[in-house]
Amino acid sequence: MDFYLLLYRLVLGAYLVSTLTYMFSLLSRRVTPAKAATWIMTGACGLHALFLAGQWLGKGYNPFLRIHDILSFFALVMTGVYLAFQLRTKTRVLGVFVSPVVFLLMIVSSIGSDGTLTAPAVLQGWLVSLHAMLSVIGEALFAVASAAGLAYLIQDGLLKRRQASRLMKLFPSLQDLDRINHACLLWGFPLLTLGVVAGSIWARTVWGAHWQWDPKQVWTLAAWLIYAVLLHQRLAIGWKGHKTALLSVVAFVLLLAAFLVEKYFFTTIHQFY
Amino acid sequence: MNLLLLGMNHKTAPVEIRERLNIACTEDFNPLGEILEIPGIEEALYLSTCNRVEILVRSREEAAAEERLKALIFRHGNLNREELARCLYVYRDEDAVRHLFRVAASLDSLIMGEPQILGQVKDAYRQAVEQEAAGIILNKLLHRAFRVAKRVRTETGLASHAVSVSYAAVELAKKIFGTLKGKKILLVGAGEMSELAARHLLKHGGDQLLVANRTRERAIQMAADFQGTPVDFDRLGESLREADIVITSTGAPGYIVTGEMVAAALKRRKNRLLFLIDIAVPRDIDPRAGNLDNVYLYNMDDLQEIADENMAIRREEAARAEEIVADETGKYLAWFNTLAVVPAIVSLRDKAAAIIAGELERSNGWLRNLRPEDREGMELLAQAIVNKLLHDPMTCLKEESQEGAARAYVAALRRLFRLDGPGKEKGDS
Repeated sequence: MDFYLLLYRLVLGAYLVSTLTYMFSLLSRRVTPAKAATWIMTGACGLHALFLAGQWLGKGYNPFLRIHDILSFFALVMTGVYLAFQLRTKTRVLGVFVSPVVFLLMIVSSIGSDGTLTAPAVLQGWLVSLHAMLSVIGEALFAVASAAGLAYLIQDGLLKRRQASRLMKLFPSLQDLDRINHACLLWGFPLLTLGVVAGSIWARTVWGAHWQWDPKQVWTLAAWLIYAVLLHQRLAIGWKGHKTALLSVVAFVLLLAAFLVEKYFFTTIHQFY
Repeated sequence: MNLLLLGMNHKTAPVEIRERLNIACTEDFNPLGEILEIPGIEEALYLSTCNRVEILVRSREEAAAEERLKALIFRHGNLNREELARCLYVYRDEDAVRHLFRVAASLDSLIMGEPQILGQVKDAYRQAVEQEAAGIILNKLLHRAFRVAKRVRTETGLASHAVSVSYAAVELAKKIFGTLKGKKILLVGAGEMSELAARHLLKHGGDQLLVANRTRERAIQMAADFQGTPVDFDRLGESLREADIVITSTGAPGYIVTGEMVAAALKRRKNRLLFLIDIAVPRDIDPRAGNLDNVYLYNMDDLQEIADENMAIRREEAARAEEIVADETGKYLAWFNTLAVVPAIVSLRDKAAAIIAGELERSNGWLRNLRPEDREGMELLAQAIVNKLLHDPMTCLKEESQEGAARAYVAALRRLFRLDGPGKEKGDS
């Protein structure tokens, strides 16, 4: 069997095991399985990075051209970001929200990933890669922000209920979750912005216009505006906790809906992504 | 096994009796020395805390040892026979092992899961080691007991749910703030419970205390006790802006912290999370404050309920802990049982090795003619045959030792293989 195929399957399998272990931790209300799941996820992340680096550098295969590879990269960034936060704050059970998303992304990415595709001439050049890479990292950070937001809403609800529960003990503290949410927004927003800028510079060189009112661009603009408002409220007005958590979940759901809607109902110049 | 455990705990003995024994044992004399003087006692451990007194010994003459130990407790505790019989429990062998494991794992404590007992068991063991009262059996037993305690702590939630009001407050604060480092605590009013909660919060990382009291002098005095800062009682709104955790316990008839005050403070503190603990009855804080975003309000009843529910969780976890105790007790017994067959196995191996060496020596005459590698092969072959032959009886012996029938098998083995030497064999027959 091809080495890369084997590696890929290994990565997929490890993500699945880690997801199941996280689920088990949640269902059994015990933190020990979550600790194990974190280690498995770390292993999966390492192998995944190895796989992508090998594909890119070793085989000279640009990983930012096709939707499958973009999704795979998205999953990697999400995992990496989550694990980085996990190192600093012991928010183990947050993985319950991150790992299934990562696994699903990998599954979608693996469907039809065989066969090679030569990108059209317009989609070549480092600027395209930069555009895709920055946008994906930005959106992956938003995904982690929304996962932290969701966990925050649950923990907030439990604390407001004023009852002892094992679930409350299992979930991370509000402050840690809020901090993750904050950091993800703070880094995600400028990265997405730069990604969009890179895209528009390149669009100008190809199509002669920075902005095309392409459906994807419109949706992205809408999401960008929501996140701009969110970040503004956080930094300038001092929104914290419950409201930001709620809004970041809503914003991400919109972003996701946009992705699906435009993918299936519109034709777009972004058809490769 | 010859293990004998005598003791009394909070369930069997009233506090007056435990106290008497405790004081008698720690101040007047060194119990270990005296226990070891009892004939037949080879190893001993003495554990005493404010909730229990336990004496664990390994003795060749158990019945005699039990009487002597009872007499010792009787004398030093100044108890009469009747009291003693009522309070004292006696465990032997397997039951003694299980009891020690349960004690170390805090399953037998007044507040199940409390962490101090393990340290006390360790101290007791250290004393036994220092006085050379612990031998091979007790060493292994105590190390197993520490292992049980560790497994119970990590594998069950027996110790991880706060069961007192003040610890419940600390646990909640940690679920809100993560770490209490750098958090400011505002203590409004005085009271045993609220001060205890403040102390716990400070101990767990909270690093600044503000004290407000209707009487200015009292505030200053309390601030001095806690190394905190007194603040103005009439300007609580200001302090609410600064503090992250607020504990109130005044005797005021109405609310001293209103919903409006909290809402205003929240705006000025830029929505930073606020944890309000209302220990006063009647309540000090308007319950509507708890409906605000980022404000978590708990009153005395909420905390008490949480502590009670946690106690229920601990009881559930205790069942899992008991399984660990049973498992480890079994392992310890298995180890102990193999102990009985070890000498026989060692002598059997020695004898086999001697036979091989002897036969090789005798055949040296013709073996010498072989090539070195063939000679080596020959030696290995002899070794292999002997090992194969001995493997089954030795495995069987180890297995039988678990069934408690070791003695007969060991005797048979010694006789069949003449492990006790030919001279003795002649005498026997």
